[in-house]
Amino acid sequence: MKRLSKKLLFPTWMILLLVFLASGVGAAFIIFTRGLIVTNLSDMVPWGLWITIDLSAVALGAGAFLLSAAVYLLGIKRLEPVARTAVFIGFIGYTMACMTLLLDIGRPDRFWHAVVFWNIHSPLWEVTMCITFYLMVLTLEVLPILGHADWVQERWPELGDRLESIHRFAPVLAVVGLGLSLLHQSSLGATYGVLKTRPIVYRPGMAVLFIVSAMAAGPALTVLASKVSARLSPRAIVNDELLDQVSRFVGWVLIAYLYFRFWDTLAMNYTYEPGRNEGLRVLTSGSLAFNFWIGEIFIGAVVPMIILLSDRLRRRQTLQILALLMVVGGLVAYRWDTNLVSQLVVFNMLPQDLTPRYTSYTPALIEFVAGAGVIAYGLLTFTLGARYLKVVDHSSAEAEELASAPSPVAAASAAD
Amino acid sequence: MTEKTNNDAKTMANEKNSLGRREFLKLSAAGLAVTVGPAAVWKASRKNASDAEEESPHSWAMVIDQSKCVGCGHCTMACRAHNDVSPDISWNRVIEDEEEGTFLPIPCMHCEHAPCVHVCPVGATYQRSDGIVMMDYDRCIGCRYCEMACPTGSRSFNWQEFTEDNPAVPTWGQPEVPRRPRGVVEKCSFCFHRIDRGLKNGLTPGVDKAATPACVVACPTGARTFGDLNDPNSIVSKLLDRYPSFRLREGMGTGPRVYYLPPRDKEGEEDSNLEVCS
Repeated sequence: MKRLSKKLLFPTWMILLLVFLASGVGAAFIIFTRGLIVTNLSDMVPWGLWITIDLSAVALGAGAFLLSAAVYLLGIKRLEPVARTAVFIGFIGYTMACMTLLLDIGRPDRFWHAVVFWNIHSPLWEVTMCITFYLMVLTLEVLPILGHADWVQERWPELGDRLESIHRFAPVLAVVGLGLSLLHQSSLGATYGVLKTRPIVYRPGMAVLFIVSAMAAGPALTVLASKVSARLSPRAIVNDELLDQVSRFVGWVLIAYLYFRFWDTLAMNYTYEPGRNEGLRVLTSGSLAFNFWIGEIFIGAVVPMIILLSDRLRRRQTLQILALLMVVGGLVAYRWDTNLVSQLVVFNMLPQDLTPRYTSYTPALIEFVAGAGVIAYGLLTFTLGARYLKVVDHSSAEAEELASAPSPVAAASAAD
Repeated sequence: MTEKTNNDAKTMANEKNSLGRREFLKLSAAGLAVTVGPAAVWKASRKNASDAEEESPHSWAMVIDQSKCVGCGHCTMACRAHNDVSPDISWNRVIEDEEEGTFLPIPCMHCEHAPCVHVCPVGATYQRSDGIVMMDYDRCIGCRYCEMACPTGSRSFNWQEFTEDNPAVPTWGQPEVPRRPRGVVEKCSFCFHRIDRGLKNGLTPGVDKAATPACVVACPTGARTFGDLNDPNSIVSKLLDRYPSFRLREGMGTGPRVYYLPPRDKEGEEDSNLEVCS
């Protein structure tokens, strides 16, 4: 019975994802033909659920640049198989972001305009350019994985070898990827940070908060995806000890994130500024309060920080997986809150009128369906990658490590 | 430029035999391509900035007198007709302050330091040297970042296509500009087409009706005035000189070009010489 349920797991999962993907494609078709009128977005709240998915997908792809930098720049070679998973997830994340953006912009046929028509003063222009270039970097980083796959090697060995040979440039790609990621991960925060008209987000700290939270959640998703797939599929082989080191790093980044978030939020309470304090009230005691205190702070940062930093708690794998899931959820909550809090307080134009007014936003069903379709694409691609491209496979690296570095180990054991 | 580089290359190649002339020319050509290429793209991308060709001697502004505005909404309707705006959208909405019993018409402020111009990722919204914040509807990708940045909510997105007959036409006027497609952001343009055409025909915007924004012409109480801030004799300069005024969210420092005269005690006022468009 248990064997049967395990056998059924993969087809059930695939069917589920395909259903979501198909309905997402259907929703996208309606959106493209009928226009954004079918959403609950408005001129008051022009950015909603899709922007949240877009911001989250980019942030959760941050594991790619961090782990590539760790392996190829800091020389922590043992993390190489983890970096491979991270790069694959990054590629999925950035393609998800592009899909959501296509849904979200009013003229998807003009998506390429930012590349041709420059406005170097716009954070969004910089983000678009960086994401375009970084997607190329990620593609070059993913191609060797494709070339390495058994079914490519069997059918087209020459092509496979050629694709694998791109891996030579991994250190260069790591440098370029690091630069591009540091730029756009923070600029996504600055996208909000430059909006003087929305005082709750008009802070230089937005860039820092965005990149620090991405540095926690990106690697967290990489480890989470690796550990979960290793527990569900025999084709994914992980070295839990190696991944635990990354988890511990996530714990440390969470400390930094909490520190910045604490001062950032607390400092806003000093003196009154119209719009800013109302926004803070929406966040801490208004409609976003649950998201903020429970989603972002407690479950999203404090609890996982304790679990990931305590050796005893982290060693309990179920607990660690849960903590990593919390970090990912906390990041999504943070992006959702940040995007929405700036839009919910409505401005009064008159200088003497200080009474704040508020608006609200609940995504329409079609926004959820289209968003779920994009997420289903991501999960589907990762599942197929784990199954057929060996993106979660620490076994060969271990063997290589043992083969390439026998002397110090032997020397050490001899000395013992 | 290229010639000079070639000459330099020639002399250099003669002096230094270590680097062949051919290679040197190749190298300098490559270098030129690397430096000039992006610069050309950059220049092309700033094509809009040179639309006005030369520095305009004008600095357009609108003055709205709250003591004269009765909230009739003629401005909104005239604007919808002349600019072919959908009934779902107002380029020029009028807000009522019930406590004070006053009205606040809000067009685009055409800010001097317009946040929308700074944030537009494709430069679809840009500023002319006469101060008008323009929209390039063929370039806009509909990301709505400008709506996030606008201090007065003056921008509207085309959530759906406007295909029906415009109910404001012909009662309130005839469309003078093409209709915008679905999926782009639009806003008040200070009726730049009327200004430009009027100037070409020797008219004075703010004085001659044909050269003045439609809302100003349509206002039955003369609450709206339009003119050149650089001209000390223009109606707007005189009004701002005579009366105290305020601008919306002025503390943000964006420098709106729409000024408001707050409600005043009307007794004993004589400003018949400042009537506009009559």
